[in-house]
Amino acid sequence: MNINNKAQEQHTYDAIVIGSGISGGWAAKELTEKGLKVLMLERGENIEHIKDYDTAMKAPWEFKHRGRLTQEQIKTHPVQIRDYPYSEFNEKWWVNDLECPYTEVKRFDWYRGFHVGSKSLMWGRQSYRIGDIDFEANAKDGHGIDWPIRYKDIAPWYDYVEKFAGISGQAEGWAQLPDGHFLPPMEMNCVEKSVKKRIEDHYKRTRIMTIGRVANLTVPHNGRGNCQYRNLCSRGCPFGAYFSTQSATLPAAMATGNLTVRPFSIVNSIIYDKDTKKAKGVLVIDAQTKENMEFYSKIIFVNGSTLGTAFVLLNSTSDTFPDGLGNSSGQLGHNLMDHHFRCGASGDVEGFDDKYYYGRRANGIYVPRYRNLGNDKRDYVRGFGYQGGASRSGWQRNIAELAFGADFKEEVTKPGPWKMGLGGFGETLPYYENRVYIDHSKKDKWGQPVLAIDCEFKENEAKMRIDMMNDAAEMLEIAGVKNVKTYDNGSYPGMAIHEMGIARMGNDPKTSVLNKWNQMHDVKNVFVTDGSCMTSTACQNPSLTYMALTARACDYAVKELKKMNI
Amino acid sequence: MQRREALKNVAFLLGSAVSATTLSIVLDGCKPGTGKKTGDLFTEDQNKLVDEIADTIIPTTSTPGAKAAGVGSFVTMMVKECYPENVQNDFLKGLDDVDSRSKKAFSKTFTALSAEQRNQVLKALADDTIQQKKDDKGKETKDKSKKAADKSKYEAKVYFFQLIRELTLLGYFTSEIGAKQALAYVAIPGRYDGCTDLKPGQKAWAM
Repeated sequence: MNINNKAQEQHTYDAIVIGSGISGGWAAKELTEKGLKVLMLERGENIEHIKDYDTAMKAPWEFKHRGRLTQEQIKTHPVQIRDYPYSEFNEKWWVNDLECPYTEVKRFDWYRGFHVGSKSLMWGRQSYRIGDIDFEANAKDGHGIDWPIRYKDIAPWYDYVEKFAGISGQAEGWAQLPDGHFLPPMEMNCVEKSVKKRIEDHYKRTRIMTIGRVANLTVPHNGRGNCQYRNLCSRGCPFGAYFSTQSATLPAAMATGNLTVRPFSIVNSIIYDKDTKKAKGVLVIDAQTKENMEFYSKIIFVNGSTLGTAFVLLNSTSDTFPDGLGNSSGQLGHNLMDHHFRCGASGDVEGFDDKYYYGRRANGIYVPRYRNLGNDKRDYVRGFGYQGGASRSGWQRNIAELAFGADFKEEVTKPGPWKMGLGGFGETLPYYENRVYIDHSKKDKWGQPVLAIDCEFKENEAKMRIDMMNDAAEMLEIAGVKNVKTYDNGSYPGMAIHEMGIARMGNDPKTSVLNKWNQMHDVKNVFVTDGSCMTSTACQNPSLTYMALTARACDYAVKELKKMNI
Repeated sequence: MQRREALKNVAFLLGSAVSATTLSIVLDGCKPGTGKKTGDLFTEDQNKLVDEIADTIIPTTSTPGAKAAGVGSFVTMMVKECYPENVQNDFLKGLDDVDSRSKKAFSKTFTALSAEQRNQVLKALADDTIQQKKDDKGKETKDKSKKAADKSKYEAKVYFFQLIRELTLLGYFTSEIGAKQALAYVAIPGRYDGCTDLKPGQKAWAM
């Protein structure tokens, strides 16, 4: 790999890509394949595919703490420990919170990983298209601004990225969840098949349940191996069986000979040239030496993950843009969104005690949105989808409280009762006052100011959660599930790790930061194609949409470059 | 709904930016706090006592028990590295309590008791712990307004028997003996069959 680790003289490339995660990897692939010399900047260390997945092949007993955290890790990761993702299994892929603090005006859980590949290595891999119900939602109910694109604009690009990435799933012919180019679907287990049938029969297919559409290969694809059903994805896959920068976009970009990757490169700001009215490059701090350096290019793709991107853009101040690059609208840093989740229902399933399964399926089931569609009108707008699944409980189950001894041991080594659960993922509205800004009162390890985050869920989300909980219980009961219990574990912004919206797309430069090509209205050679660009969240997992928008924006950018328009 | 139950439901959620892979192992994470003991936290006698308690919780049956799987040293290592000083002290007191109970009931230390006597001592301890938890929960209900998301799993009160039992189960079922002999472990399944017939005597899959 053509990695340039040394501090070096000022360098000029055709394009700079800031960030190496899902969208940054796609930008690097597309731009290099179109012949551009690209510099991809990543603030963290390099992770080499397979070789650096240190824990991927370890058995449970080879982890000293069996996944748990030591007191030392808890102290240095006060934010990362707030939820399950941070564990001994992939500990090194989560940031040391003490080195990169941020200000929580209100609680916001910011999960970050600084390394090549970024969260593409740890992501949940659920991959759904968003359709016209979502693209039209803002215009129809008046929240936020209208998307500048419709499904027809992005559909061919969904096709394009799905064919490369490899998404397994089942076509359902549902308008609100457009079908894609799927590899064969993973199988539902016996209980899920039964629940699916009963739900779809009862609601006469006005509600459906499908197998999760997931970026795991069910058959070999583009030289990558198929899923081995270990369900250890978040450690990195030695078979390359799920989509990540390392398994998919990076090798394609490297194969062109046009890509330079520079790890340990913190982009502090984008340099604006007021004479050309374009960005001319970036100011980088070397994460190891703290040395400042500049890199220059004709175009810049900003893919720093929504909040990382927010920092770079807001920190890029100039006489022309005193409040952040391309911020003549005053919208930069505003309209921050995340999905709200952690509520639903679960229960016990009887009648399948003679059935089991083989393999650990790294996927669940999906119930796409059905609320506020057609004649259905709720006391909130938008909707939610469910993820979930059925499985037989294991040794953690409670036979009797604090039970122990020989009989207990023998009992819990048998497959336990079947459980089935549904957990909602709800759309969040764009609120102008949910925002981030630069806080100069604190500094990170590299002397940079930090991001302040002021974001909360509001009434619409709270009302939706009641349906998310009760509908789940209703559907499970209809499906014959017993002892159904609802839950709402509370959801703070950031927890779903689906941050979006701080540089939204729109047709009007007065109310949006990016145009319909993810191009800055104000600075034509800067493109933002990570979650920042989202004008609304829909309720589907968003990464596939970032991929499609990135490929589409790269195509446009290179054409504009060739026409000498930028 | 109790936090523990509620958290387990999260295992069904696969959609956030990370996979929920081995969630259930992580659920009962180590608790934060100040200070950490250095050197030997446990005496040789206490190490032996932990060995025997673990082996009473998971004894040898048709498959080897906790002692064969080296669970005792796992439990003491975890208490030392993953728990704050106050929990470590409570754990040491808990060990003393087990011996006091043994002496009171049978005039011998726990390690000198027969298997049946050990069972009796731990059963009484388990029952008392259940009662204690119930009493504490009664006090807690006044504070119900606190959102579930605000209650860190690292803040939960630690009960000696609950902790040593959980660490014993974790240590045993994720050990090579526990995973391969008490459970069925397949490192690389290679395929997923959603509907198989349960065979007589089939063990649960290890993670």
